[in-house]
Amino acid sequence: MNPLIFTTILMTVLLGTMIVMMSSHWLMIWIGFEMNLLAIIPILMKKYNPRTMEASTKYFLTQATASMLLMMAIIINLMHSGQWTITKVFNPTASIIMTSALAMKLGLTPFHFWVPEVTQGISLTSGLILLTWQKLAPMSILYQISPSINLNILLTMAVLSILVGGWGGLNQTQLRKIMAYSSIAHMGWMTAVLVYNPTLTMLNMLIYIMMTLTMFMLFIHSSSTTMLSLSHTWNKTPLTTTLILITLLSMGGLPPLSGFMPKWMIIQELTKNSSIILPTLMAIMALLNLYFYMRLTYSTSLTMFPSTNNMKMKWQFETKRITLLPPLIVMSSLLLPLTPMLSILD
Amino acid sequence: MMTYIVFILSVIFVVSFVGFSSKPSPIYGGLVLIVSGGVGCGIIMNFGGSFLGLMVFLIYLGGMLVVFGYTTAMATEQYPEVWVSNTTVMGVFLLGLLMEVMLVLYVLKSEEVGVVFKFSGVGDWAIYDTGDSGVFSEGIMGVAALYSYGAWVVIVTGWSLFVGVLVILEVTRGD
Repeated sequence: MNPLIFTTILMTVLLGTMIVMMSSHWLMIWIGFEMNLLAIIPILMKKYNPRTMEASTKYFLTQATASMLLMMAIIINLMHSGQWTITKVFNPTASIIMTSALAMKLGLTPFHFWVPEVTQGISLTSGLILLTWQKLAPMSILYQISPSINLNILLTMAVLSILVGGWGGLNQTQLRKIMAYSSIAHMGWMTAVLVYNPTLTMLNMLIYIMMTLTMFMLFIHSSSTTMLSLSHTWNKTPLTTTLILITLLSMGGLPPLSGFMPKWMIIQELTKNSSIILPTLMAIMALLNLYFYMRLTYSTSLTMFPSTNNMKMKWQFETKRITLLPPLIVMSSLLLPLTPMLSILD
Repeated sequence: MMTYIVFILSVIFVVSFVGFSSKPSPIYGGLVLIVSGGVGCGIIMNFGGSFLGLMVFLIYLGGMLVVFGYTTAMATEQYPEVWVSNTTVMGVFLLGLLMEVMLVLYVLKSEEVGVVFKFSGVGDWAIYDTGDSGVFSEGIMGVAALYSYGAWVVIVTGWSLFVGVLVILEVTRGD
């Protein structure tokens, strides 16, 4: 793509999310979502083949439906409250419709079906933007309407998302689909605590974005999109095998690494609000997630499968320049001792 | 009949929406869209928005729908589908008509309909005058406010339309 046009379109994606996060008028928020959606379509279609076109079409259809539902909720809210400012949504019907619309945008169950298919059909860099930047705008709106969200609906969607994210990722060998199911599960964790303590949602979002950025950049660095291809990184850059191990264990939520911080805080907040069965179920279902991360580390860092000598070599592409990879790796593994600092997120 | 003109126009509005939602060929969808645009203009004008109705006719029907008609005419097939040519299309159209008729009967028979908002009787949508409109029509005052207080909205919508054109050119350009 022409670099000038590409920059313009990328800046429009940023502008769309900024408008959503900083507007006080519901109509401007809707305009921001539409601008975001429209401008990310050519980014998803960077490589021109039928698979990316199909993925972009699926993304456009689901997100446009979600925007229409959002507009309907905005109009019902206008009819009952008579004003357009962003506060909690007073009418229960409008609140439920808006929660469903934002769940469709995030990829929560039962609206999760587009996430693996769209992520699989696009390139790794586009998948990176899709799974990290695109989650910011809907989550900021959920944060702003959190006092009025129907708890039953949100918790059902969250728990089912964690289950589907863990269960659906079990049989996958394609790395982009694994990241998509991991995204569904993490969105479930984020929305589970939204009504109780929205600050923890923001904390989880922050750490999730750092870990997902790290994982995608490691995949881009080793130019691998399948588990098989990733298992040959010991030959190309042996250091990245260790880094993949650490980052994957952090994503699984294991204690001395920073991925444990959001899960710990969320379980603590839920038990403080006298719900015991729910965080137990969530923690048990997160084990499914840990299983397929462990399988990735097993084939990548911990073992070298027997193969013939010419199968061991990986095609040496020109080394891609990866921005900020070392700081990201450090941040996604070593942030746990800084947990008391999360009071700055308030 | 003039007291119920908004109700009648809105029924025709919904029927024409059913007409193009049952997916005949795009040319016939555009035909029904003209009808729905005209009827929608009538609804708005009954509430005093003469400027907005004119906008619908000029910009929507006279600009956007004309371009849509030209592009559809370039891409049309030899025997386009009508509502009666395909069993599925006719079935969906009749189903939509049936649901609309049942809804109209429900509204006419019962005292109050409370689906998402309360709608008590057809007289609820009769034309009435709210407050002091002054000498100027509200539509023109709205446009004046758009260009003074709402400058940010103009910038954002203008940029969205510009980026929309860029995106469409990028997507259809190919390799």
